[in-house]
Amino acid sequence: MTSRLSVVFSLLCALLVVLAVVGQAHAQAKSELTIALSSFSAETLDPALQGHNVKYYLSLMFDYLVGVTPDGQPSQAGGLASKWEASADHKRWTFQLRKGVKFHDGSDMTSEDVKFSLQRAMSKRSTTGYAGPLRTLITEIETPAPDRVVIVTKDPTLIIPTYLSRSLSTEGMVLPKKYIEANGDDVFARKPVGTGPFRFVEQVVGSHIKLTAVDNHWRLGTPKYKNVTFRLVPEETTRIALLRRGEVDVADVSRERVKELEKEKFPVYFRKDEAVLHMWWVLGPDGRTPPTNDKRVREALNLAIDRNEIAQSIFGGHADPAAIPLGLSWSFKDVGFKPTADMAYPYDVARAKKLLADAGFAGGFPLDIYAFQLPGLPEGKAFAEAVAGYWEKVGVKPKLIPVDYPAFRKLWVDRKAPGIVGYYNIANRDWIGTYALLEKMAYTPSKLNDTVNDPEVDGMLAQVMRQTDRDKINTLMRNVFTRLRSEHAGVPVVYLHSPYATSKTLGRWNPGAVMYDLFLDNLAAGK
Amino acid sequence: MLRFVFFRLLQSMIALAILSVVVFVLARATGDPLHMILPMNASAEDYANARQYLGLDRPYVEQYLSFVGRALVGDFGVSIRARRPVIELLQARLPNSLKLAAFAMGVSVALAFPLGIMAAVRKGTGVDRTAQIVSILGQSLPTFWVAIVLVEVVAGRWQWLPAGGNEGFTSYVLPGFTLGWFVVAGMMRLLRSGMLEVLDSEYVKLARLKGVVETRVVWVHALKNALIPVVTFAGIYFAILVTTAIVVETVFAWPGLGRLAYDGITSRDFPVIQAVVLTTAVIVALVNLCVDCLYAVIDPRIRYAR
Repeated sequence: MTSRLSVVFSLLCALLVVLAVVGQAHAQAKSELTIALSSFSAETLDPALQGHNVKYYLSLMFDYLVGVTPDGQPSQAGGLASKWEASADHKRWTFQLRKGVKFHDGSDMTSEDVKFSLQRAMSKRSTTGYAGPLRTLITEIETPAPDRVVIVTKDPTLIIPTYLSRSLSTEGMVLPKKYIEANGDDVFARKPVGTGPFRFVEQVVGSHIKLTAVDNHWRLGTPKYKNVTFRLVPEETTRIALLRRGEVDVADVSRERVKELEKEKFPVYFRKDEAVLHMWWVLGPDGRTPPTNDKRVREALNLAIDRNEIAQSIFGGHADPAAIPLGLSWSFKDVGFKPTADMAYPYDVARAKKLLADAGFAGGFPLDIYAFQLPGLPEGKAFAEAVAGYWEKVGVKPKLIPVDYPAFRKLWVDRKAPGIVGYYNIANRDWIGTYALLEKMAYTPSKLNDTVNDPEVDGMLAQVMRQTDRDKINTLMRNVFTRLRSEHAGVPVVYLHSPYATSKTLGRWNPGAVMYDLFLDNLAAGK
Repeated sequence: MLRFVFFRLLQSMIALAILSVVVFVLARATGDPLHMILPMNASAEDYANARQYLGLDRPYVEQYLSFVGRALVGDFGVSIRARRPVIELLQARLPNSLKLAAFAMGVSVALAFPLGIMAAVRKGTGVDRTAQIVSILGQSLPTFWVAIVLVEVVAGRWQWLPAGGNEGFTSYVLPGFTLGWFVVAGMMRLLRSGMLEVLDSEYVKLARLKGVVETRVVWVHALKNALIPVVTFAGIYFAILVTTAIVVETVFAWPGLGRLAYDGITSRDFPVIQAVVLTTAVIVALVNLCVDCLYAVIDPRIRYAR
């Protein structure tokens, strides 16, 4: 009997060796660019049915009306519009389209496709990030020629090119009118057709999305890679194992494993300041409630946090302290805002205690902190525990409530638990994207998502929308940031740098500074 | 026998009807899916539009009746998250889960049977002690830990086998072993104790006295009668492996039913949650029915008693 068992075990061992050889041979036979990501968000391939966080695969399949540079600035070289201009009253925006661009099904891209795409993005069915503002703003879309589109707005505005660009959401992606009308929305969502440098091949929900290169594409030439595959690999250990085996070329990794990977000589690229980790107090139906309606309490809670320690110990040094509530730093340079040294919150327990005592809370007060993980923030709960610890030191009695984000978001928008604290790693973006965010999270009339409730900020934000003088807009935005900081309108904690490890043979890559977009163009470009 | 099968099927249908109400109510009690699919800066109007488009603005009773009516003809609606018919997602995921569970069960049987039988036959020897160690390790090592260690060491460091995905036979080995490893322990213990009991029974002694070869006594006469608890165990665990291998499917990036359920729950995707729970219930009911029928095949006394 024992000898039989030995034979069985020997056979199993032999099988393992054979499998190992086969596995390695498979790993070496790689001929495509493979990107392993921890989340695909909703895995919907229809740009109108998604928020903006699926751009990394959609932006290879589709072209935007307005392109951007890797650092997120509108570019006449990267989009279907080769130039654009506004009328004197800034109510008519004319876009000149690139000629000779074809969809993957061979049909020509014309102004009718642009009109159709924009109408679709603004439809009630759309769940894109900026459908609402565009719906309010755009009154008409004219197509005077196949290569010319005119967008007419209700009010004078500067935001149209940016809203339809790659720097924000998916509203600017140009879709094939004839194909969708002939086949329907469902077929389009399963077999999307765009004008991008890669065409759709296959999607297995929960597993992967495969694209193949288009020859001689106007944007990238003939891409370096024949195929690009996005693999959904939720577990980080597995993504790193795939990287080590050479089965993937790019993988998102956590900040805590960067050192280990760098030690193994895997290049690690960062999307610097990809998000700001921001905390806020949920408003009640009529605005702020005690004790955080007192500015001194808000300042005390800010001063009680050691941002440098959080950046080092929780985020492995891959984060920098933040100082401006809702201050998205990619927008600062756009509007000429430079946070001064005295705006930074020092870690000052003594002053925090004094401010609380002055406000009548020397004995502290109970404070509920909702703790959850978020995509791109695996450190979420550890971070919430750290903040609770800091606040405890100044006498506050924090209570950590572990939930998932949707549960907190419901309490936030329903305003049923005023004063509770939550947080989000808000994606960084340019000034228009920042304005759009402020218009929801810092603007009282928006009601649902407001976290600030400050009439002075409301007044300035209302002026930004109507203003067409860029200098005046910049001044207004700078004043908004200054006001948010002086009123301690939230708890900006750190700017997060997001690491992406690549295979040793991939070559240099600039992951850019475009919201929710890995900017794979310069990896894949053949020209 | 037919009467038995009929009543078991009837019981299962009543249980499914009750379950459909429970899952419908509980899925909605967990929160609003729009908080997941709409962007952070969505307005009240965006919420209202999406709610209307997805049919979530209708009264609960109407939503329930619509769900049940369509489910009876195999239509579980459209996934709120993936915007695809849920039946399509099930059709894509269920075969992956079945294949992985079958592989894992194969691993379990291949390891548990020889070890369990030998541990009983050679009670108190080194083989028995080895089997006991395997059993303790199998039941005490958490699945997620085994999975992570295998990925890190076998796939990542030694590069022997694929770390994830479901392309080719080799990709089954690590997740199949991880899933099967836990089952090995339980199956082996059951088999060992069952065999010990049977090997000590009068009819086995008689068989030996009649001069039947020992191999035949062990593998035919004794094993057949020690199998009933093992079959029950294997049946229940097969259903569990198919439907709840969430950790293994997540670690090995295996697109199966468990991860579909997990994604559905975390994104409050009601149609997916409802479909997966009902499918799971159907699988469990069917497997239990098969196990009951198998009893009768293994042990004729059960068949006659019925």
